[in-house]
Amino acid sequence: MSSVYARGRARIEANLTPMIDMTFLLIVFFVLVSRISEVESVPMDLPEPQEAATVPLPDESRVVLNVLPGPDGGIEGYRVGVMQFAPTPEGAEALERHLATLFRQNPELDVNLRADRATAYSDVAPALGAIASAARLAESPEATRVNLVVIKDERRGPRP
Amino acid sequence: MSGGRSKARRGRPSLSLNLTPMIDVVFQLLIYFLVSTNFARGEQVYRVDLPSRSDGAADPFALDDEPLRIELVPAGGDPSRGMVAIRLEGPWPQPATFEDLYQFLRSRLLDARQPDGLFAADHPIVVSPAPSVRWDRTVDAFNAAVRAGYTNVSFDESDR
Repeated sequence: MSSVYARGRARIEANLTPMIDMTFLLIVFFVLVSRISEVESVPMDLPEPQEAATVPLPDESRVVLNVLPGPDGGIEGYRVGVMQFAPTPEGAEALERHLATLFRQNPELDVNLRADRATAYSDVAPALGAIASAARLAESPEATRVNLVVIKDERRGPRP
Repeated sequence: MSGGRSKARRGRPSLSLNLTPMIDVVFQLLIYFLVSTNFARGEQVYRVDLPSRSDGAADPFALDDEPLRIELVPAGGDPSRGMVAIRLEGPWPQPATFEDLYQFLRSRLLDARQPDGLFAADHPIVVSPAPSVRWDRTVDAFNAAVRAGYTNVSFDESDR
């Protein structure tokens, strides 16, 4: 008999506490990220123009305004963060007031406008109008900048 | 008594696994991937300055350029295909496609290569889609102007 076992089996023990801590952190992280990306990038078919002369998404502070696509090219409403607004004149006014509050908090805010490619212009125009009049309401000295979000697949498209 | 034996007798061999370095490394990797991940893959933007920006800073002596209006009206055929006709306001040749529109705008641009061009790069260009025009056609027209090198492209405000 080997003397290694003379005092009983050697105990191989792994301290699991740090691993459980890490796993818990990871779970919380992914839950939060999935919530954020679900709110901000609503799944839709963004326009994909040929030879797009676009710029990468800027790093400045921005708010994402989603025009939620509905069936048959209609829309279900406008969404900013977790706030959703009806596609009616009243909804557009509420959107305008909400954006004005955001502009007052941060005058340098950019608005990223995401709209489905099949959405009619008459459904996107109220969103553009709301952004412009929200900037006037907030009397922001800074420029209001709207970023129209499109898809540019650099693997498929020609390089600029 | 051999050396090996006495070593084993001296105490219980401790074979516990130290997980701390592994967790450190995992944490570093997590931060690395978090920072380097782009959650909005393939999305790019067009930057639009809303007209409210230029209100205050307008030069009172500058002549107000008559904007070049690009009107988009739905053409016949299946509405879901989103065919549009492009109409340029003024005595211009009417482009049939967005590529034609780009060629027209590019050939009239006043820059170092074309000193006899007609429009300066900041000549106002207004995209004026009919209400039922799909958003991707609107973006196509916008793209043609931006791609041709114009910097002052906006949307029609009258119908909001």
